[in-house]
Amino acid sequence: MLVSDRGGVVMAGSGTAHMRNTVDSVLTVRDLTIEFRVAKDKIVKAVSGLSFDVIRGETLAIVGESGCGKTTLARAVLQLPPPNSGEVVLDGTDLTLLPKENLRSARTSMQMIFQDPISSLDPRMTVHQLIDEPLEIWDRGTRAERDERINNLLNNVGLEPELVLNRRSYEFSGGQCQRISIARALALDPRVLICDEPVSALDVSIQAQILNLLQDMKDQFGLTMVFISHDLAVVKAVSNRVMVMYLGKICEVAPPDVLYAKPAHHYTRALLDSVPIADPTRQKKTELLQGEPPSPMNPPSGCRFRTRCHAASVRCAEHEPELQEVAPGQFVACHHPIV
Amino acid sequence: MRKFTKPTWLAISWLSLMMFFAIFGWALPFKSWNFVYEDDLEVGLFSNGHILGTDSNGYDLLSSIVAGTRMSIFIAIAAVGLGGLIGSVLGITAAYVRGKVDTVMVTIFNVGLSVPNLVLALALVSVLATNVDINQAVPTWRRVMVLIMSLTIVLIPILGRIARGATLSWAGREFVTAARSMGMRDRKIITKHIVPNVLPALIAVAFLAVGVVIIAEASLSILGVGIPDGASWGGMIARGRNDLEYAPHVLYVPIFFLALTVISTNHLGDVVRAQLDSREAKV
Amino acid sequence: MSSLLSIKNLGVNFDTARGSLEAVHGVDIEIPAGTSVGVVGESGSGKTVMCRAAMGLLQGSNVKRSGTVIFDGHELTAMSKEEVRNLFGSGMAMIFQDPMTALNPVRRIGSQLSEGLRVRLEMSKKDAMVRSKELLELVRIPNPTAVLNSFPYQLSGGMRQRVMIAIAIACNPKLLFADEPTTALDVTVQAQILQLLRELREDLKMSMVLVTHDLGVVAGNTDYVAVMYAGEVVEYAPTTKLFADMRMPYTEALLESIPKVDHKSGTRLAVIAGRLPNPTDRGAGCSFAPRCKYAQEKCHKEHPELKKDPDGHLYRCWYPIGVAL
Repeated sequence: MLVSDRGGVVMAGSGTAHMRNTVDSVLTVRDLTIEFRVAKDKIVKAVSGLSFDVIRGETLAIVGESGCGKTTLARAVLQLPPPNSGEVVLDGTDLTLLPKENLRSARTSMQMIFQDPISSLDPRMTVHQLIDEPLEIWDRGTRAERDERINNLLNNVGLEPELVLNRRSYEFSGGQCQRISIARALALDPRVLICDEPVSALDVSIQAQILNLLQDMKDQFGLTMVFISHDLAVVKAVSNRVMVMYLGKICEVAPPDVLYAKPAHHYTRALLDSVPIADPTRQKKTELLQGEPPSPMNPPSGCRFRTRCHAASVRCAEHEPELQEVAPGQFVACHHPIV
Repeated sequence: MRKFTKPTWLAISWLSLMMFFAIFGWALPFKSWNFVYEDDLEVGLFSNGHILGTDSNGYDLLSSIVAGTRMSIFIAIAAVGLGGLIGSVLGITAAYVRGKVDTVMVTIFNVGLSVPNLVLALALVSVLATNVDINQAVPTWRRVMVLIMSLTIVLIPILGRIARGATLSWAGREFVTAARSMGMRDRKIITKHIVPNVLPALIAVAFLAVGVVIIAEASLSILGVGIPDGASWGGMIARGRNDLEYAPHVLYVPIFFLALTVISTNHLGDVVRAQLDSREAKV
Repeated sequence: MSSLLSIKNLGVNFDTARGSLEAVHGVDIEIPAGTSVGVVGESGSGKTVMCRAAMGLLQGSNVKRSGTVIFDGHELTAMSKEEVRNLFGSGMAMIFQDPMTALNPVRRIGSQLSEGLRVRLEMSKKDAMVRSKELLELVRIPNPTAVLNSFPYQLSGGMRQRVMIAIAIACNPKLLFADEPTTALDVTVQAQILQLLRELREDLKMSMVLVTHDLGVVAGNTDYVAVMYAGEVVEYAPTTKLFADMRMPYTEALLESIPKVDHKSGTRLAVIAGRLPNPTDRGAGCSFAPRCKYAQEKCHKEHPELKKDPDGHLYRCWYPIGVAL
């Protein structure tokens, strides 16, 4: 159940220095806060005062471990369910202010790909019905036009229409289901595609196929993407900008090559050091991040990462760090960034 | 379709026979069930053209059974149908909307479930289906309606809870979120995505509920608030009780039909359940 | 070097409604004492089934196992169920991908942990509890007394996996089977658990079979690697040798298709075309042939036998990489 937390102290937020505020931004999120009441007096602070913008044709990757709020954030952007406070501006329209009926049509320009390819398709429907569904809701074209569109979409995602149209989702492998989901998401010509861990349920050899397909579809349909993942290697392959999250806040925003080469936030560095490297001759011997993230019901004061950060000082507990630019395009919310 | 096992075929055949009795029983070459064969009182099985014998009133038991099937099956299907319809509308809505609506609905269901079924039905029937003037008989149709209504009320919370539980699990699936993100209306999401997926679970329980209702109807008859004089299996058992010493078949014949029918519906309920589980496992 | 576990020509068949399914076929592996062996494969490659079959954990009338498994001088395949059971705990132990389902949800950690000690080592209740606390300290659980009194749901995934490891090492096993022990965990917690396993292996002189789908996990944590595809071990070599000088086109393709953090962003990934083969319908040729970029006519017709390089490197391929024909 969503509750508002107006009574509580509004925290400084993670800052807005990384916002580019250009006319080209397709999706702008400002000061978004999402909280869930799980029991009396127990409020999960999933996302706290978070802002970001995505520019036309860009892929913004959101990285973080489980419980950092990345999936909740993606759903709140789609207003499923809406956030407690903050703005979600899509092409100049603030979705949080729209009446229900207008929101319904505004949503079509933003589609989502889910993690579990099988549970995101209704098991009772054939592939034809699945992809026809969005077209039918919005009455796009005649029966013949719609059928042609369905065939084109299936061809686009690399499936043979004749072979798959009349089969149901459980007859397909995870990779094929993900292709069907992508075809369905593209049916309404969305502007923004939000991918929530689209390949983490897939086998390694299938994962690359789907990542390449997403890239191709992005180019072909001129999409802007938000790509959520816990896998830093996957993120690097697909993104133009990476946003690292920890306990509902932004730690660092930077272009991938900069971020991976010179992480400025201690958490980003710890994440990168934890990624196993598929080369026995290049094993790192580094200090591992100890412990596990604290509960989002009772996040630490100041910097939320300070309880596990070896560089933490008194200042980190007292003042929340704001995002600041440490290198061109690289923004970090840390009092003691790595330089 | 998967191959059925032998017991499943037996259950299907038996229920088909019962449905045949219920629907086409009137066309069978019997005299009315309450025609009195004065010369054949309490004759045994297979005697004088009475395949199942007669009772102490001289009623032919086979034609009573056929007429009773119609009544028992009608009551059962009507009660389960109505209970299922109302229960699932309430349950699905509650689970889909969540929030206060859900809390209220769950409370109502729980209160309904905490009242013993038979006591509730008994109370309703004795209040609604009696006449102030004791000498004036209550019309059979009125008793039947009240009986159906009271059994429906008993069934609503049971089936409603099943529908609610199933909806909760399906509404959390990502295809429902996907449908919403496509701009589908809630009403359509429910009819197109939730109901078809919830239905199999409901049907499985509905089979069990049919059995429960048949037994409840019989129990009420034995308690004396069933269908007055009307032929129903419960009515036959109630009457046959008195003849247990002299003509046990009068009691055993309806019990046999009732038991076999209930076993069949329960078995089919399990089969549907198992089919459902194997489908779920695939999903 | 003597082998602790020696698997010869292991096969597993499941009788299903659609006929016999050959989940594992002709697996030969030697696991030297004191080493860590990685078993890598995608889902359906038979890696988990192979390990459970080796441990004698596959039960049911529809399972048929063939071949021999010799563990520490005992021929497991010739022993009764009871005798094999006696080897669990002190001989071999296992940890799983999902520690939540492997732990009993309604019993406290302390009682689950001390149970094995009391049954296997015949310790008193009090001694078992003391030892349990030591074990939790051994797996670096920060507040062992509190955890002993907790229920599994009160612990995080990483903590639960530590508890599972504590249960597994309670009776000092010689061999630990770890089946995707870090797949369900976050990357930073995964690094902690892998480090813990490395340290414990060293301290307790324990061998390990590490089943995983992640070549990265294998690279830093094993001495030998077995690559599985469609129920067969298609390549087996020392880890450094395998990564430096692989023979199987499948291993090469798998390694190429995983995204890497040191790639430049936007690098297009190499793809293995097609999909995993259907286990009930295996063709005559090499099972990887339909997806292999080096496949020739022979590969589609004849099933490759296991070949051995002089240095012990095993592979199943007609046209191995880096070998002049």
